[in-house]
Amino acid sequence: MSAIEVEQITKTYKIGTQETHALRGVTASFNEGEFTALVGPSGSGKTTLLQIIGCLDQPTSGALRIKGQDVSRLNADQRADLRKGTIGFVFQFFALIPGLTAYENVELPLLLNGEGTAARKARVLELLDAVGLSERANHRPDQLSGGEQQRVAVARALSVRPLMVLADEPTANLDTENGKQVMEIMRRLNQETGVTFLFATHDPRVVSYATRVVQLRDGRIDDNHSAIPTV
Amino acid sequence: MFKIWKIAFRDLVRNRRRSLLTLLAIVIGVSLLLFTGSFYDGVFAGSLDMSIHLQTSDLQIRAQSYDADKISLDWKDLIENPQDLTGQIEAIQGVQAVTPVLWASGMLLSGSESVGVQINGIDPRSPIYDPIRQALTSGEMFAADDRGGVLVGESLAKSLGLSVGQNITLVTNTANRETDQAAFTIRGLFDTGVAQYDDSTIYMPLEKAQTFTAAGTRASAIRILLNDRTQAESYAAAFAAPGLQVLTWKQLNSILMDSVNASAAFIQLLYFIVLGMVAVVIANTLLMSVFERTREMGILSALGMKSRQILGMFLLEAGMLAVVGVALGVLFGGLIVYYYSQVGISFGQDIMEVKASNMITYGKVLYTQFSALKTMQLSLTALIMILLVAVYPASFAARLQPVQSLHGK
Ligand SMILES: Nc1ncnc2c1ncn2[C@@H]1O[C@H](COP(=O)(O)OP(=O)(O)OP(=O)(O)O)[C@@H](O)[C@H]1O
Ligand SMILES: [Mg+2]
Repeated sequence: MSAIEVEQITKTYKIGTQETHALRGVTASFNEGEFTALVGPSGSGKTTLLQIIGCLDQPTSGALRIKGQDVSRLNADQRADLRKGTIGFVFQFFALIPGLTAYENVELPLLLNGEGTAARKARVLELLDAVGLSERANHRPDQLSGGEQQRVAVARALSVRPLMVLADEPTANLDTENGKQVMEIMRRLNQETGVTFLFATHDPRVVSYATRVVQLRDGRIDDNHSAIPTV
Repeated sequence: MFKIWKIAFRDLVRNRRRSLLTLLAIVIGVSLLLFTGSFYDGVFAGSLDMSIHLQTSDLQIRAQSYDADKISLDWKDLIENPQDLTGQIEAIQGVQAVTPVLWASGMLLSGSESVGVQINGIDPRSPIYDPIRQALTSGEMFAADDRGGVLVGESLAKSLGLSVGQNITLVTNTANRETDQAAFTIRGLFDTGVAQYDDSTIYMPLEKAQTFTAAGTRASAIRILLNDRTQAESYAAAFAAPGLQVLTWKQLNSILMDSVNASAAFIQLLYFIVLGMVAVVIANTLLMSVFERTREMGILSALGMKSRQILGMFLLEAGMLAVVGVALGVLFGGLIVYYYSQVGISFGQDIMEVKASNMITYGKVLYTQFSALKTMQLSLTALIMILLVAVYPASFAARLQPVQSLHGK
């Protein structure tokens, strides 16, 4: 079943009189459990598409359906609520809250979702273990390496058992070894939990982990270069 | 609300220097205002106290037609039978002390110099003159039946080269609208701390003053001290009688009271200026914090935090700074105020003088006065003002769109 469907999505940015057509009609669906790479040249609209799918931004036109429900016209608070329980994010920069420890960063979405203390603790420890950072639970972001921070971010993205994790160039700021580690963890968690992953990347090595590749070009999906590789 | 307070607190700790500087601004602002307020309160409480004890008392009874500005000695302007009245009032409960007084304007002649003075004919046995007894720096208080003794202000005596035991000549207006002249001996010198008062005041026994001014047994006024000053109005009403006027300490010190009100308004203005400055510092700190943390706001928003909650987080941060800052400010300012309320601030000269009839003012040492009520008001005003000011940067943070704040890598 498709977790997320986008239909004829367009996005036009207006700065003064200048219009940028970041997306010019994108239609796609992402099934539960898929591990999809979103590729394309710089400026092709990858980040824009992720932001719209992640309900961080609204499309200029078109529809976004999450589990069959149209969510493209929700207001800001409704989108916040939707994000809170349904979507996990991993960003290119290691987007942790600087004041909180690794543990607390992973715990934060659970708190926002009103999880009880015991359930929170079990979940946080489980996830920190899954990303191999049990030892680092009480370190703050500035006491962690880039790779470690990104693994905490992955753990945080998964904490509320979201429908989907969106990652925008998650390895772009990491060296090869750390990038590989993060991708392997994401792939493993994808297989273990069945969470849908969609990640934008430029890196061919990252693409090689994908079960499916979607190619964007000038704000459109280029079907000739999109593929479902055999696993 | 979640761990919002924790994020807010951690941010304050993480930016230690910024937080401390902001706290410092609040502490300085609040303690400065606390001190200024208590300084002024001290000045006025002191002035009022001084004026009441040296000059006005809590109540004065005068003839209806008496005009204090003219210091009239016409018999119709004086109280006919002050001893009777004094005796009656003395018996009333709540009256601490009561004594008749006769005022006359005159001139002190010494050698080739002459100085205008106010002559006070008093009963030296009355406790109302305890302050003068305590202010004696040399010699002693004259007896009630002393026919030639006076007290002179030390500063006046010094400027004329006089000391205890020496003779002076006094010229006075009389009830007959003439002048009389007599020689007196200085029995004592007093220093009240109010130079203007000491330079122009002569005390002599009431009976001597009465014969000197041809006033018979009459008096200009009856001075009354009450156990409870705040009850002055009801006592005044009780003492009311035809042909007499009863004045309370508020009426007698109306100029001082007016200037208290005027400066209360000034203090209020000062409050708002200083608090306004503190508020700007806070706003600046928070705005900086917002700008530095746009990405963090974006992350929190991406995690599903609503703008209302982000607003709350910033207000919480401002609130924590405000509460701690105001508390420290009150503590610090309170300690300074307490210290100076005990030790006093010594000035080389009089702090202020308002020249007006029957009005004297402050001495050389000022004691600050702590007011719990005013401190509470100040704290509350500061807190509210800081929070109000924090709304702008906080709402700025809350208005940021998640995409906007996540942009820029
Ligand atoms: N907030 C914005 N305002 C105006 N134009 C924007 C905005 N965000 C993106 N764009 C424009 O939209 C187009 C698509 O941008 P987008 O960031 O989605 O590309 P991308 O595929 O993620 O690129 P990259 O690989 O460099 O990250 C670009 O031309 C970009 O300049
Ligand atoms: Mg991008």
